Amino acid sequence: MDLARRLFMAQAARITAGAAFVPLASVAQAGINDQPPRRDGDAAKRYAMLIDLRQCIGCQACTVSCHIENEAPLGKFRTIVSQYEVENEETGDLAQFMLPRLCNHCDNPPCVPVCPVQATFQREDGIVVVDADRCVGCAYCVQACPYDARFINDRTQVADKCTFCAHRLEAGLLPACVESCVGGARIIGDIMDPDSQISRMIEEHRDELKVLQPDKNTVPHVFYLGMDERFIDRPQAAPGLWDVRDSAGAELGYEYGEH
Amino acid sequence: MNMESIEIIAPRYGIAWYPRAVEYFFLVALAYTSLWLALPGAVFGVNRWKPIARLALVGAVTTAIAAPVSLLADLHQPLRFWHFYAHFTPWSWMSIGSLILPVFVVLTIGLAWLVWREPMQDWRGERGIVGWVARVATLGHWDSPRWLIVLTGLGAFAASLGMALYTGYEIAVLKGRPLWHTDFLPVMFVATGLIGSVGMLLVLDRFSGMRAAELATAPQTPVVSPSRAVSRQLLGVLLVACILAGITAALWFAVGLTQADPSVAAALDSVKGNPDWRAMTFRAVATGGVLFLGVLALLMRPGIRGLGWVFGLLALHTAWMFRWAVLMNVQTVQRQTAGFSEYQLGMGSMGLLGIIGAFALWLTVLMLIEIFVPWRAALDGPSTVPVSKPSDGVPSHG
Repeated sequence: MDLARRLFMAQAARITAGAAFVPLASVAQAGINDQPPRRDGDAAKRYAMLIDLRQCIGCQACTVSCHIENEAPLGKFRTIVSQYEVENEETGDLAQFMLPRLCNHCDNPPCVPVCPVQATFQREDGIVVVDADRCVGCAYCVQACPYDARFINDRTQVADKCTFCAHRLEAGLLPACVESCVGGARIIGDIMDPDSQISRMIEEHRDELKVLQPDKNTVPHVFYLGMDERFIDRPQAAPGLWDVRDSAGAELGYEYGEH
Repeated sequence: MNMESIEIIAPRYGIAWYPRAVEYFFLVALAYTSLWLALPGAVFGVNRWKPIARLALVGAVTTAIAAPVSLLADLHQPLRFWHFYAHFTPWSWMSIGSLILPVFVVLTIGLAWLVWREPMQDWRGERGIVGWVARVATLGHWDSPRWLIVLTGLGAFAASLGMALYTGYEIAVLKGRPLWHTDFLPVMFVATGLIGSVGMLLVLDRFSGMRAAELATAPQTPVVSPSRAVSRQLLGVLLVACILAGITAALWFAVGLTQADPSVAAALDSVKGNPDWRAMTFRAVATGGVLFLGVLALLMRPGIRGLGWVFGLLALHTAWMFRWAVLMNVQTVQRQTAGFSEYQLGMGSMGLLGIIGAFALWLTVLMLIEIFVPWRAALDGPSTVPVSKPSDGVPSHG
């Protein structure tokens, strides 16, 4: 769809009488911290991502390409692959575990209702975005996200997060992280379309898929295949590289923050 | 299978709310709880509580003016504050708070203005800027109508309840941080706020010369008894606030242990896994214990109540440190990665300088009121307070 047509349709949707009444009705109904109605985006779609951990080698190509595509400031990430070294205490065997992380574009996103100016909202297609021109940088959404998927962008001084590269999706491109994934571990698509690759994979692996922190009732829409349940919540792990200290106990540095 | 994991690569997230947030939650809690202490004397005319009301009005107005500045400074885009009013969002606690806060501040200042303009009438004839301010600020020769004082006071009280509710639930509603997500948190904010405001009034009482003046004019008995209504009442409220905070903390812990409240589980987890958290918990419990025992001792031994201001400072410390632990330390608990991010208080305007600046602002407002408002004479207070003459230099209120 070309840009002019898309803009026209967005305008047409906005001026229909039904749409105009939605906010008023929702004001009357929405309790404090309830989800406000979704807006913008294609209501016929629901974008989601499936991450096949069996294919992930922890190369961080997604981290780098996302960083370049979305111009995140140094030390802040819209997506990153957490890496763990896991040792079997009985056998001493070592294994690596990779956990690519990004915004989960939850169906019940806790970051959306807290926003005091409605700058962060969920589109009809499920993508959670931030209107950077409206955001006041109060960081309430940063606190509300249980996945640490949001941050304040040091350059723009507003909330920043993964958007599933909505700008690329609209141009018919794949998100930067999906495009650059060497193992093809990241699959994005419309789960309302039964023929999409993601729908077929969800159908095939329905019982094996896991999401992060399901007890938070956020209904994440980033699904993990080959996920170890010990990493679903905050992992019981020693934070290895964080303790870079000299003999006096003073912190020597940190590889992300001190470029 | 038992396993040992080391996190090799993980992002380390800094904090998103700075000490400005602690300043705001601290100052605004002092403001609304001070207002409560001012109500009996200032609004309902209870004579016994008028001396406290004089102090509490000063406390409430100064903190209510200083608090929103810190709040504004904690926004990363402070100049966009008007977006709060252009895009009102009734389902967000923060947006609801953005409506309650100005109402509270305006009504609190309005109440103080109605009360203070009566003694200010006597200063209309003064020379210089003090007389000019008295002539302009009083808006003419008329008595503040009783009904207007009561109405403004009740309005401010309603807004203060809104403040207590919104500042508590703004934090407690966040499921993303289990340590915050408990209904006990708003109660604890109120209890520690009350502890802090009584502490502030004890310090104000001492350093404004109110205590010295009252003791100097008190009828001399063979044994000089420093037992005053103000000290007794303030210490009484402080004791009640300490007990309320203690019960709240104990209930939170007990209920959490029996019903597996995630906030208690998260707290235990943090204390178990981090020596800094253990030290912090120990300090908090020790400070609370010393404060409680000290207040109890001061209540039972009127002879040592001259030390009240020391425990006032300790009470202020308690209110500040509770908010520091809740708002700053909790942010260092990682949520999807292992361990804790380290937060070091910076020296700049987002750190120590900002904290000093916030208190300097409060002190400035206090000094302006001291200069332009005869607040000691309000609510049937003594019209002349025997403080030292300007030539004597800094008064000593030993």
